[in-house]
Amino acid sequence: MSRVITITSGKGGVGKTTSTANLGTALASLGLRVAVVDADIGLRNLDIVMGLENRIVFDLVDVVENRARLRQALIKDKRFPDLCLLPAAQTRDKDAVSKDDMITLTNQLRAEFDYVLIDSPAGIESGFRNAIAGADEVLIVTTPEVSAVRDADRIIGLAEAFEKGHPRLILNRLKPQMVNRGEMMSIEDVLQILAVDLIGVVPDDEHIVTATNRGEVAVLDQDSRAGQAFFDIGRRLKGENVPMMSLEETPGVLERVFGFFGRRPRGI
Amino acid sequence: MSQLVAIKGSKSGLRLQLDEAAAWNELFEALRSQFEQSSHFFNGSHILVDTGHRALTEDQMQALLALMQEYGIAPESLASTARETRDAARASGLVARPLTRASADQEDRGEALFVWRTIRSGQIIRHHGHITVLGDVNAGSEIIAGGSVIVWGHLRGTVHAGALGDRSMVICALELVPTQLRIADLIARTPEDNLERFPEVARVDDDYISVEAWEAYRR
Repeated sequence: MSRVITITSGKGGVGKTTSTANLGTALASLGLRVAVVDADIGLRNLDIVMGLENRIVFDLVDVVENRARLRQALIKDKRFPDLCLLPAAQTRDKDAVSKDDMITLTNQLRAEFDYVLIDSPAGIESGFRNAIAGADEVLIVTTPEVSAVRDADRIIGLAEAFEKGHPRLILNRLKPQMVNRGEMMSIEDVLQILAVDLIGVVPDDEHIVTATNRGEVAVLDQDSRAGQAFFDIGRRLKGENVPMMSLEETPGVLERVFGFFGRRPRGI
Repeated sequence: MSQLVAIKGSKSGLRLQLDEAAAWNELFEALRSQFEQSSHFFNGSHILVDTGHRALTEDQMQALLALMQEYGIAPESLASTARETRDAARASGLVARPLTRASADQEDRGEALFVWRTIRSGQIIRHHGHITVLGDVNAGSEIIAGGSVIVWGHLRGTVHAGALGDRSMVICALELVPTQLRIADLIARTPEDNLERFPEVARVDDDYISVEAWEAYRR
């Protein structure tokens, strides 16, 4: 049974593309066949983050418009042959693809892969709607900022309205010291508002910037705490029971996360 | 408030039901005063005008539409048993259909709306009667009720009770920290330094919205 998962956020710049690249790589490193799809038509990024930009010949729109077969457009990853990227078109816009196109496309990908991860564009318009059209599940990425959380709330409402089940949350770029000083929203603050299940917390980490700029993914870097956090999320996505990582500098976070899970029933 | 104009909510939108028997001028003025009190309630809603058996001339129809436009209200369709009223509506570019009272009666059943979920940013709940929410009402969402609003959860969004002009309605929540509170024609916002974390009730007191602890209010 293959799963189609859309990674989305509402707000731009919170880490959708980074999350997609890292989770895709994490799942592939666990021996699964994974396709990552860049659904941000016109603002292509996923290929750059994965360091595959110079291998693009055909893209998603070429497949939808029958100029290329799916096999021709899929690009094999540098390290994992079972990880493939379907790049977005850079010279077109969102209107080049319809919801039905995306559903057809994801169904084709289901036949070949265990996991299909779709990197959604920011916003709540047609690009986002297309990106979740074929999805079984939705992962919401947010950072601990009021505006990002507000947009995440909006997106969760839409995902529920489109009957995509209960979205799960990736809380990205948390700075434990700032939380300790009371200068940043804590994990509980965010969950109190969004009332969804947390699949992982990714600490703010400079390794992500350097890795992204080199077209490498942090998930393969043993020294990157964010990379390890993404790896754990990949395993949880697969169904493994992985304890939440302790955010070193903040004794107590681990406890608080578990305390939270203990208290709150899912889905309310 | 006039009895000549009734506002009913349904899943598909709002029904503006106009008295069939009263003199046209009287009805027209009643409608004007209703809009005066409650135009916010109609904002962005799908509106069906229900004129019952009344036969309207084209002039009257145009006056009616002009009045609605004056208050920023755009009706979507009209229902009437009278053919000439439907013809007049179509002549003014409105969708008109025969009136089916059976479905209207069904829509009216139940004065209060019960919502059991989190109301999230961008979502809007609108109802002509009371609204009860079992869950949080998040910032960026709106609750608009003709009656009172009760939230069994955190109320962080914008909420409007008595939106059809009734100042006797109240708003209560387990934690009342709304972006903005409105009761009838009055508006208030939560003080920036509000740290209250217990159930509270907002009501109108001498032309102002006042908020007090539930424990104090119930006595």
